[in-house]
Amino acid sequence: MAIKEYQVIGRHLPSEQQPTPKLYRMRIFAANEVVAKSRFWYFLRKLNKVKKTTGEIVSVNEISEKKPLKIKNFGIWLRYDSRSGTHNMYKEFRELSRTAAVKALYQDMAARHRARFRSIHILRVVEIEKSEDIRRPYIKQLITPKLRFPLPHRVDFATKSTFVAHRPATF
Amino acid sequence: MPAESTFKRFVEVGRIVLLKSGPSAGKTAVIVDIIDHNRALIDNPAAGVPRQSYPYRHLTLTPLTSKKLPRGAGSGTVKKVLEAEGIAEKWAATSWAKRRAALERRRALNDFERFGAMLEKRKRRDGVRKSVKAAKKA
Amino acid sequence: MAKELVPGVGRLSRSAAYSKRQLYKGRKTGAPKAAEDVPAFKEVEVKGDKNGSTRRVPTAKAARFYPAEDVRKPKVSRKTAKPTKLRSAITPGTVLILLAGRFRGKRVVFLKQLDSGLLLVTGPYKVNGVPLRRVNQAYVIATSTKVDIPELSLSDKINDAFFAKENKGSRASAEEEFFANGKPVAKEPLPEAKTSEQKAVDAAVLAGVKKAANLEKYLKASWGLSKGQFPHQLVF
Repeated sequence: MAIKEYQVIGRHLPSEQQPTPKLYRMRIFAANEVVAKSRFWYFLRKLNKVKKTTGEIVSVNEISEKKPLKIKNFGIWLRYDSRSGTHNMYKEFRELSRTAAVKALYQDMAARHRARFRSIHILRVVEIEKSEDIRRPYIKQLITPKLRFPLPHRVDFATKSTFVAHRPATF
Repeated sequence: MPAESTFKRFVEVGRIVLLKSGPSAGKTAVIVDIIDHNRALIDNPAAGVPRQSYPYRHLTLTPLTSKKLPRGAGSGTVKKVLEAEGIAEKWAATSWAKRRAALERRRALNDFERFGAMLEKRKRRDGVRKSVKAAKKA
Repeated sequence: MAKELVPGVGRLSRSAAYSKRQLYKGRKTGAPKAAEDVPAFKEVEVKGDKNGSTRRVPTAKAARFYPAEDVRKPKVSRKTAKPTKLRSAITPGTVLILLAGRFRGKRVVFLKQLDSGLLLVTGPYKVNGVPLRRVNQAYVIATSTKVDIPELSLSDKINDAFFAKENKGSRASAEEEFFANGKPVAKEPLPEAKTSEQKAVDAAVLAGVKKAANLEKYLKASWGLSKGQFPHQLVF
């Protein structure tokens, strides 16, 4: 399932004391608009004294990537609930878009910590512009100048055959 | 990077790759930038391959490289550099590309053309047989 | 065994299915019996003075029971079969590959579509032995090769009736059909009308065939699949 980034704007319902309530804007990563609105109320409830019954959504729109064909390094701050407690984390990803980085993050968290979508809060997604700001070695190794590496252990499936006289040479 | 290696073909910026699957399957492209150990950004505007991320699983490295391509070059630069180095011609001149082209041509033949090819092959076989026989006698 | 090879194409031909299902057993032979002329009423003598001595009585007693409801009439179908659409790949002069029948594997030249929807083809006879013949387009591969035949003009005589078999009546025994006086019966030659039509058509087709190199050899050779060849992957 593809993850998209939404900008959701909402506010408290206008009342006589406050005819022009404050607008709240959030950038939310979600599969669709419905989930995005739901997550908006979930976070707003935690941050302010506004909830879905006492508030309204002003607008929801999708944010698309400005340069989806440029490789960027992203730093993501997150908070997640493990089985025994809550942890803050910082991870780095090398991707073409913010949404792709978040998608990779959810995959990574699911793989390493069995964490689900509901137990992860994405706090901040930032593009790291300067290479010296990159902290993680697994991203650092990819930005070395003149990077090159072979592709060992490749089987050529073009010459498909069930039985062959010789094992394929994979180097 | 260590300069010595027994490997001949590397994932590197400027490496010409042959695409094995997807809408551009069968076309060549160049690695513009390396995303990670699974994917690279490839491009070839001259051959109609759009700039895109491509997994190494779905491509094959060729022995050709573009030496002058800078990392992360735009489509316009890619086109210019590949043209200046004559990469498309170099690829077409390889026996690999020729074999692929011949295979493609053979597959595209219609029934009548296949029949014509069969006649030509028969003629060739006959010529070989006759000359071998003549050589044996001598 | 599957009844159909592919949807729309049966394993058995109409006549093969007829004999396999033994349908000939149910066939009615001989003329139906003529109904006897029975008068609807007859005069019967009645006793008693006041009864007028005779009375008209129906010969067949009326049924004591009537169907409670009216008998339904079967619905009249207003559907009619549409004329067979000719495949777009088949145009006059197209080389076809026959897939079924006595001449399966032969490459033939398409001439025109007959009113019955069948395709009129010819070998030509001199090239590969296939005479003027009707085939169903379902049993044919259309190739992209065309024979250039602008001077071809088919006479109106070549229609579906041209191919109808002459009814010679039933013979008493198979013996009689093939032997007479202990000797094989001489084969009847094809009527002159048919051979002359064949020759006239083939002359025009053959002139077209001669225009292209190897085309005559191609029509003479039969088609088949060799190892590793699959018809859906081939270009025709």
